[in-house]
Amino acid sequence: MDGACLELIHRVPGANPQLDALEERALIRQAQRGDRGAFEQLVRKYEGSVLRLALQVVRSEEEAKDLYQESFLKIYRALGRFRFESRFSTWVYRVVMNVCLDHLRRAGTRREVQAPAPAAGSDPEPVEFFQTVAEERPELDPERALQGKEVGRRIRAALARLSPRERLVFELKHYQGMKLRAIGEYCGTSEQTVKNCLFRATQKLRAELKEIV
Amino acid sequence: MNCQVVQENLTFYLYDELGAEERAAVEAHLGACTTCARAAAELRRLRALLDQRALPEPSPELLVRCRQALEEALDREAASWRALVRSWFVVPPGVSALRVTTALTILLLGFSLGWTLRPRAGSPATPAGRAESAPWVGADLANLRISGISQVAPDPQTGAVRITMDAERQVTLEGSLDDPRIREVMLYAANRYNNPGIRRDTLEVLRDQGDNPTVREALLYALRYDANAGVRLEAVEAVQGIAWDPDVREALLGALRTDDNPGVRAAVVNVLIEHADDEMLPVLEELASTDRSPYVRMKCARAARERAQN
Repeated sequence: MDGACLELIHRVPGANPQLDALEERALIRQAQRGDRGAFEQLVRKYEGSVLRLALQVVRSEEEAKDLYQESFLKIYRALGRFRFESRFSTWVYRVVMNVCLDHLRRAGTRREVQAPAPAAGSDPEPVEFFQTVAEERPELDPERALQGKEVGRRIRAALARLSPRERLVFELKHYQGMKLRAIGEYCGTSEQTVKNCLFRATQKLRAELKEIV
Repeated sequence: MNCQVVQENLTFYLYDELGAEERAAVEAHLGACTTCARAAAELRRLRALLDQRALPEPSPELLVRCRQALEEALDREAASWRALVRSWFVVPPGVSALRVTTALTILLLGFSLGWTLRPRAGSPATPAGRAESAPWVGADLANLRISGISQVAPDPQTGAVRITMDAERQVTLEGSLDDPRIREVMLYAANRYNNPGIRRDTLEVLRDQGDNPTVREALLYALRYDANAGVRLEAVEAVQGIAWDPDVREALLGALRTDDNPGVRAAVVNVLIEHADDEMLPVLEELASTDRSPYVRMKCARAARERAQN
């Protein structure tokens, strides 16, 4: 898991995945004594994967920014209670997972399947979120773009029909390549529960997408 | 393994979550059972389909916005009642909450005892009377941020205490960018201050001063060396407005060749195509086929085509 996370973080500008365990421990102690600079260095280490996950589970950069802020504020407030009994990364991701799960529960599925609101003055046709961020610009091949847009819409709708926990487990397993045991640690649940979630999620996606598989 | 068990384990088999023994058993079954092999093939197609969903990449601008918002929230947090309470009741790591509670209880008992035994009205006043306020040496404490206390020295004879603190005072400078003091601070902030949000804001202000050689150097420095992609992106925008010369061209081409952020490289191409300079053509042509990002490759190819046509 850490390898996957480091790889993800590394692609985010300004991220600092290079802290070793001793440095991190020292920073945590400094941050617990109220050193904001130390806390910010810890944020730099984890912000890449936090923001990436936030962008996966929400539909807009503004919402992702809110999740980022809520996660790190919770970590900041609770840091004094961290006792080095688990790995710091596990503790951090557990907070982040809870924030993401709460968000998904609040958002509910109804809102997830809705098209994003178009910006003022823009084309009223909904734009696929992942099409707007893809580097392969669709104007190169309009037919492929159209097909991709439809596939993207179906995938997003299918993912939106998963329960919040199934959705999160699936995102972490399929798109971030984490091991089930790590996901279990981060979600504060057993590996078996996570396994069941992944199985149910796959079955649901299979049923939802069978026409285009 | 029978078909039911295999099909229940196919998901974990394909996601590499089975132990070696189970994995071998599933593979052996798939080699012999066409129904299960078909189910496995269908799951593989589902995975490939789901892979078509591109993962959103956090943009440098978003990261800068997130950091700024968090910093502001932390500032608010530091000034809130929560921080005050935490500073009173912080339990250092390694100290059990029970011990802290016991200590607080003893303290409370001591206070109660002291209150009960306090001198009543009519009892003689202490000779010292009310404690005098000590004068602050140096200045008043308005707007002073205390970052550390290096010495607390009591004087047993006078009862005074000397406290030596590391502190900083908030200062606001206001003036035109022509004012050398203002410009000096801005140049410091643009290239050396550790907050990328401030560096970015500073570059945004300085971009109108690109005619000044020192500002120009600061913009090119940020473009070449700033650690934060959002700041480098702002530097690219700022460089767009300054007079074109070989230095500017080399800084931009250098960023196009070496910047690790595709958003910055794409922005550089946007600036380059504004200028009729044939020196950039070979670089654009080369990167049209070698850049790591398909989008930057496409932009370079388009820019090279346009440059060659003009």
